[in-house]
Amino acid sequence: MARIGVFVCHCGFNIAGVVDVKRVVEEIKKLPDVAFAADYKYMCSEPGQNLIRQAIKEHKLDGVVVAACSPSMHEVTFRKAAASAGVNPYRTEIANIREQVSWPHQNYPEEATLKAIEVIRTIIEKVRYDESLIPLGIPVIKKALVIGGGIAGLTVALDIANAGYPVILVEKGEELGGKVRRLSGLYINFNAPDGFLEEKIKAVMEHPNVTVLTRSEVKEVGGYVGNFIVKVETPSGEKSFDVGAIVVATGFDLYPLQALGEYGGGRYPDVITALEFERMLKDGLKRPSDGKEVKSVAFVQCAGSRDPQRHRPYCSKICCMYIAKQASLFKQKVPDGQALVFYIDIRSQGKKYEEFVQRAIMDYGVLYIRGKVARVYEEGGRVFVRGVDTLSGRPVEAEVDLAVLANAVVASPGTEELAKRLRVATDAFGFFQEAHPKLRPVESLTAGVFIAGAAQFPKDIPETIAQASGAAAKVLGLFAQRELIQEPTVAYVVEELCSGCGLCIEACPYEARALHPWKGIATVNVALCQGCGACAVVCPNKASRVRNFTPLQYLAMVEEIAR
Amino acid sequence: MVIGAGIAGIQAALDIANAGYEVVVVERLPSIGGHMLQLSETFPTLDCSQCILTPRTVEVGRHEKIKLYTYSEVESLEGEVGNFRVRIRRYPSYVNWDICTGCGVCQEKCPKRVISTDFERGIGKRKAIYTLSPQAVPNKPVIDPENCLYFTQGKCRVCERFCPVGAIDYNQKERIFEEEVGAVIVATGYELLPLTELGEYGAGTIPDVIDSLAFERLLSASGPTAGKILRPSDGKEPKVVVFVQCAGSRDPERHMPYCSKICCMYTAKHAMLYRHRVHDGQAIIFYIDIRSAGKGYEEFIHRAVTEDRVLYIRGKVARLYQEDGKVVVRGVDTLSGRQVEIAADLVVLAVAMVPRPETRALAEKLGLRLDEHGFLEEEDRNFAPLESGRPGIFLAGAGTGPKDIPETVSQASGAAGKVLSLFSQWG
Repeated sequence: MARIGVFVCHCGFNIAGVVDVKRVVEEIKKLPDVAFAADYKYMCSEPGQNLIRQAIKEHKLDGVVVAACSPSMHEVTFRKAAASAGVNPYRTEIANIREQVSWPHQNYPEEATLKAIEVIRTIIEKVRYDESLIPLGIPVIKKALVIGGGIAGLTVALDIANAGYPVILVEKGEELGGKVRRLSGLYINFNAPDGFLEEKIKAVMEHPNVTVLTRSEVKEVGGYVGNFIVKVETPSGEKSFDVGAIVVATGFDLYPLQALGEYGGGRYPDVITALEFERMLKDGLKRPSDGKEVKSVAFVQCAGSRDPQRHRPYCSKICCMYIAKQASLFKQKVPDGQALVFYIDIRSQGKKYEEFVQRAIMDYGVLYIRGKVARVYEEGGRVFVRGVDTLSGRPVEAEVDLAVLANAVVASPGTEELAKRLRVATDAFGFFQEAHPKLRPVESLTAGVFIAGAAQFPKDIPETIAQASGAAAKVLGLFAQRELIQEPTVAYVVEELCSGCGLCIEACPYEARALHPWKGIATVNVALCQGCGACAVVCPNKASRVRNFTPLQYLAMVEEIAR
Repeated sequence: MVIGAGIAGIQAALDIANAGYEVVVVERLPSIGGHMLQLSETFPTLDCSQCILTPRTVEVGRHEKIKLYTYSEVESLEGEVGNFRVRIRRYPSYVNWDICTGCGVCQEKCPKRVISTDFERGIGKRKAIYTLSPQAVPNKPVIDPENCLYFTQGKCRVCERFCPVGAIDYNQKERIFEEEVGAVIVATGYELLPLTELGEYGAGTIPDVIDSLAFERLLSASGPTAGKILRPSDGKEPKVVVFVQCAGSRDPERHMPYCSKICCMYTAKHAMLYRHRVHDGQAIIFYIDIRSAGKGYEEFIHRAVTEDRVLYIRGKVARLYQEDGKVVVRGVDTLSGRQVEIAADLVVLAVAMVPRPETRALAEKLGLRLDEHGFLEEEDRNFAPLESGRPGIFLAGAGTGPKDIPETVSQASGAAGKVLSLFSQWG
């Protein structure tokens, strides 16, 4: 006989506004093996958790069902609370009566109440057959791999190395420094990045804990959090490393000029990208076509950004600011020159950014024209930029020496292949996908793989550096653990039933299955297994099972619904 | 030590504590969570803010490596990196938190109702003995002596009578605690420019002109109206809501010259959520530039315009005034060049973000630099955004300037990374 406690959360009005929680408690109390049932306005609050702990002690409960929000919110909270009062955490389950009941059925309180009771009844059946489990411990290799040697990768590598752990820094190109190396001066102070960058590169190169591999690429990634095996192709052959954590800092690229047919598609020598203009600001403002001094420049923002019909729908975030900077720098160098900026919205969101753009307009005399450029073309050695001034409603045509396009920021080439090797997700535009857009911005959904910088989405330098240190913090947090705690709700094989057919090996998306070398039956690598259950589905003999998700439990749950 | 327990301080504290180091968290308010706990849903996924945050507040509250000083402020800091000595002043809560069980009877029985100006932004009420929210961490009440009948009139003592454990202590005094810490993270966050500063928008005298955080409370399912959009003056559902962006921002002549960064996105969210709740309502947004620079942000604005039919008008609102139970919004549509006048039922101002008023005094105590607006200054804007300039003291979140949640969280983890790097070196 189990002694199960059921705790029904109101979630303020979120649940109790629809579901009749008192009636739910009354109905649940009548069920066999339910030794206690109660409701409370916020189960996750301190008094709510205390209620659970007290009931466990007073009623000698050996299983807990919390009917509340999705397990992705508070399963950990309630498992910890139950464990602290002596109930095995894996005999504590969530019945989701918010996302699956009160929210979708807001206008049907009666039906919602009945459904809540049904959901709870099934979870009671699950708890009845839940095993008490102990989490698994996995050792951690305290060495990190950082992919990408730009400002993000350098920052991550230094933060980890300074903490005393070895780092392998892999860079595809010839040298470290990434895109920042190509910049003339930075907003908002026009300082050249060179000194800082050289210092950072020197610190990385000379750091005893950092191994720098340039002209190298990650070819293969195996293993799992704490125990990755990485193969890197280097100029001196393939090398293999065991690392505990991986940080992806592969940066960005620019949308190619060739793709922007309306702006010449790369055919015109005097229509260039902003990165090319950075070089001109460093080396001299000579027109590419004829080497003449540049006296007038039209800057075209959103070249390929904010254009869902033809190009990228998103805003590339950094262009408004670097264009204001480039236009200001140009006017510093050529005070009698003319700088025009075509924009849709001026996005100067950041500390002192608004003021910086204002200075470009007021102090440097940069002329801002609100309107998207429809066409850029060259004729008779002159560049023509055509658009509509959306403030006056009139068409504008500017004749200039040079047009600078703020091309959309896109994921760097090879991101998709790398993501596949790492088994991490990318978003619709090929950037790395973070684990949660609000609260887990530097983690991927694959444990042990973290993201820094523009590989996740366009970012400017301060944001990249902050995020890079954030990724380093996650790695250091991981390395601080003596061993990693792995959920024990993983797959196992009932050896007497397994025929060694190998279907589960094919089905496993995590490469957690293998055939035993001589027993001829399937085995599970518990460190890799995520408990998804794909193996249990394909197994013709029901030999593959997942702990606490057994056929017995699920049949009992289905039977309860069908009752 | 982490100063401030909003989402920045919470994230930084958890990152450090989960790496095995001890953290002292000092929070000015009686409980942790900061502004994020006031929000209804978050852009661009419309995740319920409370739902994603409370697992973390709970984790902080129960973490064996984290020592919480709420209702406290830093009194002084001496020493240097690796060896700071801190004095922490804890305000009297008039409740003995060591024995209080958080049962809530005192709040239920307290006869004195007060308008909650801080957490509920003047929309809802609380008692004279209160917690900020039902999920408060720690879930211990404080007595507000300015409103408590015992403190103001010398009688009542109802809470004392009903408290089952005898935790009420009217004689409690301020206390000073001392701690030794190796590094400090300052995560003091932001405040909104008070409506009273905005003369052109009624200076806070028009009841149906509210700020964006107040609108969050109206939207919140756990807010004073349980998520119903009801306007403050008469409790009716507004059918025309005007959202005014850059209220006090981007206005160097009269207010703040800077852009407050997050308003474009939360205003789009506000308008969208309003349209979800009031299907026959009209949502109108006045903007100067739409600033949706972030992953999925541009697409979010697009959704507000196309799917939820939010009307965007480019132009700054010049004046607001009351007439016949309506709020008249006057401005210029800068695209057509014409004057616009709209009679709105409710006006929501996206008020400028400003540093918390205590930041100045704190910066002095810690020896940190501030910019001309009072935001904390970074060591280097581009290359050292987390360093304060004083070794061992790091910065995170909106205390250095307006920031949205993901940027704040990244920064908080970044500051934690700096601290962990230091601690690992010391062994």
